Amino acid sequence: MTIPMPPTAVSVGPASPATNGRPLLEVQNLRVWFPIQKGLLSRTVGYVKAVDGVSFDLAPGRTLGLVGESGCGKTTVGRAILRLIRPGGGVVLDGAVRFKGENFLLKRGSELRRLRRQLQIIFQDPVSSLNPRLTIGNIIGEPLSVHGIATGRKRTEMVAALLDRVGLDPSYARRYPHEFSGGQRQRIGIARAISLSPEFIVCDEPVSALDVSIQSQILNLLADLRKERHITYLFIAHNLAVVEHFSDDVAVMYLGRIVEKAAASELYKNARHPYTVALLSAAPNLDPRPTHRRIVLAGEVPSPANPPPGCAFHPRCPLTRQLAAGSGEKDTVSVVSGGQTVRVLRKCVEESPRLVQLNGPAGHVCACWGVS
Amino acid sequence: MSQPLLEIRNLTVAFNTERGREPLRAVNDVSLSVYPSQTLAVVGESGCGKSVTALSILRLIPSPPGRVLNGQILLEGRDLLHNSERQMQQVRGKEIAMIFQEPMTSLNPVYTVGDQIGEAVTLHQHVNSQQAKEITMEAMAAVGIADPRRRLDAYPHQLSGGMRQRIMIAMALSCKPKLLIADEPTTALDVTIQAQILELLRKLQRDTGMSIILITHDLGVVAENADVVAVMYASRIVEYAGVEELFDHPLHPYTHGLFRAVPRLGQAAARLEAIPGTVPNPMQFPSGCKFHPRCAETSKRAAESSDVVQITADRKPLTVMRVCTQEEPVLREVSPGHWAACHFSPGYADAPVSAAQLDHRRQVSAESEIVGGATV
Repeated sequence: MTIPMPPTAVSVGPASPATNGRPLLEVQNLRVWFPIQKGLLSRTVGYVKAVDGVSFDLAPGRTLGLVGESGCGKTTVGRAILRLIRPGGGVVLDGAVRFKGENFLLKRGSELRRLRRQLQIIFQDPVSSLNPRLTIGNIIGEPLSVHGIATGRKRTEMVAALLDRVGLDPSYARRYPHEFSGGQRQRIGIARAISLSPEFIVCDEPVSALDVSIQSQILNLLADLRKERHITYLFIAHNLAVVEHFSDDVAVMYLGRIVEKAAASELYKNARHPYTVALLSAAPNLDPRPTHRRIVLAGEVPSPANPPPGCAFHPRCPLTRQLAAGSGEKDTVSVVSGGQTVRVLRKCVEESPRLVQLNGPAGHVCACWGVS
Repeated sequence: MSQPLLEIRNLTVAFNTERGREPLRAVNDVSLSVYPSQTLAVVGESGCGKSVTALSILRLIPSPPGRVLNGQILLEGRDLLHNSERQMQQVRGKEIAMIFQEPMTSLNPVYTVGDQIGEAVTLHQHVNSQQAKEITMEAMAAVGIADPRRRLDAYPHQLSGGMRQRIMIAMALSCKPKLLIADEPTTALDVTIQAQILELLRKLQRDTGMSIILITHDLGVVAENADVVAVMYASRIVEYAGVEELFDHPLHPYTHGLFRAVPRLGQAAARLEAIPGTVPNPMQFPSGCKFHPRCAETSKRAAESSDVVQITADRKPLTVMRVCTQEEPVLREVSPGHWAACHFSPGYADAPVSAAQLDHRRQVSAESEIVGGATV
């Protein structure tokens, strides 16, 4: 069966021959809406559109970085892919997540369990993501028992090998999480994630909670595992430098949508979307003598419960104002932004831009009316 | 040369732990100075003592278990450690104000932000409630809050993280302090909001001439805001220099390692150079130089020397220089205006031991351009 691709879908990287040219993971028009309920009867009065039509493909062994500010939906994308968000209770969850061609979102029972082995996650907070009452051996070994891979002595041996692989002493299996530092706990989380030899791992802000000198150790460990085991990563983070360093391709999210996506080096050199440009400009630079003028976006990310119409970025967008200044009266409208009245392009307010391929390297896509 | 506004001399702060155990030293022999309208960044990782140093200045270390074992904290020549609690209340908020990392937990959830800023104003300034309200709104406007009259009645939970941090800054600045201590002020904020807050702090400093002690773990924040930098590791300052000098010529192996461990935008490196091992726990600091089990320099030198010892670091045997395990280096001025605490910094052996003090200002950086409207 061939699946018609929505026009917004974009491919990441060359297809690997091992899967007959098929991406390992295809996310198609993923939407996750959380209900806003009010009153005694919990009537649904609206939705927080945490993820609103996200599509991407991921070839085996590649890493896609997902960046954006809090509330942009990047974490929700990762969780929805792994089915950690349950539909029901008014939650809208649709679109497709195809893992090796099978729609993971529709799987149930034993089929779901079989596929789950292949998709794992590493969490941001190494403290709250480890059960304080289990020994490290049980934390890492539990998935092995649950999936019937190893028990008893064999399990103990496998746990020891995993601990050794992530740079911890195998004797630590008898200890408890509170005995470890943040970096060591993150290593334990990584050992747990790779215990079932998954092909795909979501890394949700894996180094944000760690000290600077420890961050690079963990990033190097994740990179080594990628090479050794041909793991495909979805790497979610807010730190642009870390994402650029670790990912083959980078997608930038704003209010539930991908606004720009390109190869990591291309995105850094030729960012086109005004939000990406501002984000790159705002990132602190390790240079005590900065030469470029920094763009500081005023205002804050609007609430995803009530996003601005058209392009959600238009109230903060420097580009649309600039273009409006040189456009005719009928192509522009006045909007009130932060108490000020500004003129912006009519199109930016009325129509939501789609991701389109730009002139330049294949795979550089951008959703902005002001970018040709 | 002007006099420092605040001078810390040989500060040592210890905490009692279990009975019969040696109190652990969270801050050890720390000396630093902040000059008027200067920003001093104290940079280091968790547990290095940077926050304890800041809290000691305001005498906010709970005692017991905390205790200042030694040192002086001179604010315009007066030793704050000799102040009574009553005198300290006059200092806190009025002369030295502080903002914290997590603005949600530092604001009281059951009072409006207007009440909370107003409280600081009425406490330290002889004004009636109407004047206090005016001053409160002025302070809110100064930190870029649109429509302060409406925001006066907002409760903290109604505001975003960036807005709460602005309220904290408004509260801190309402009494026009001479020194602002900012403890990780932007760590909990998004990148674009961080840029706004840092820009705001720079602007307020230009306008009021206040001094800032900026405590952070983020080298990017240091590069863009600091005049002078103190690098702390395991309770001690290990390097102290002007910001340009530190970034151009880092001397301490720890500083070196930090710079190489951070990925830089636009400079794709295949692999990051990591500092091995973990940040040491104050309960069990290594002997001698506390960095030696993780230090690239000492193991490199040990390969060509005979005066070495074998240690176990990070589960592996390691050969290091004997002196590093036996003698803890103190901060010495190895070149004019540049202090380092490493036996192997060039010139360390003959350098004088002196309190780190540097009346330096960074070159004016490129102006920021503020674009886009607020959407609040």
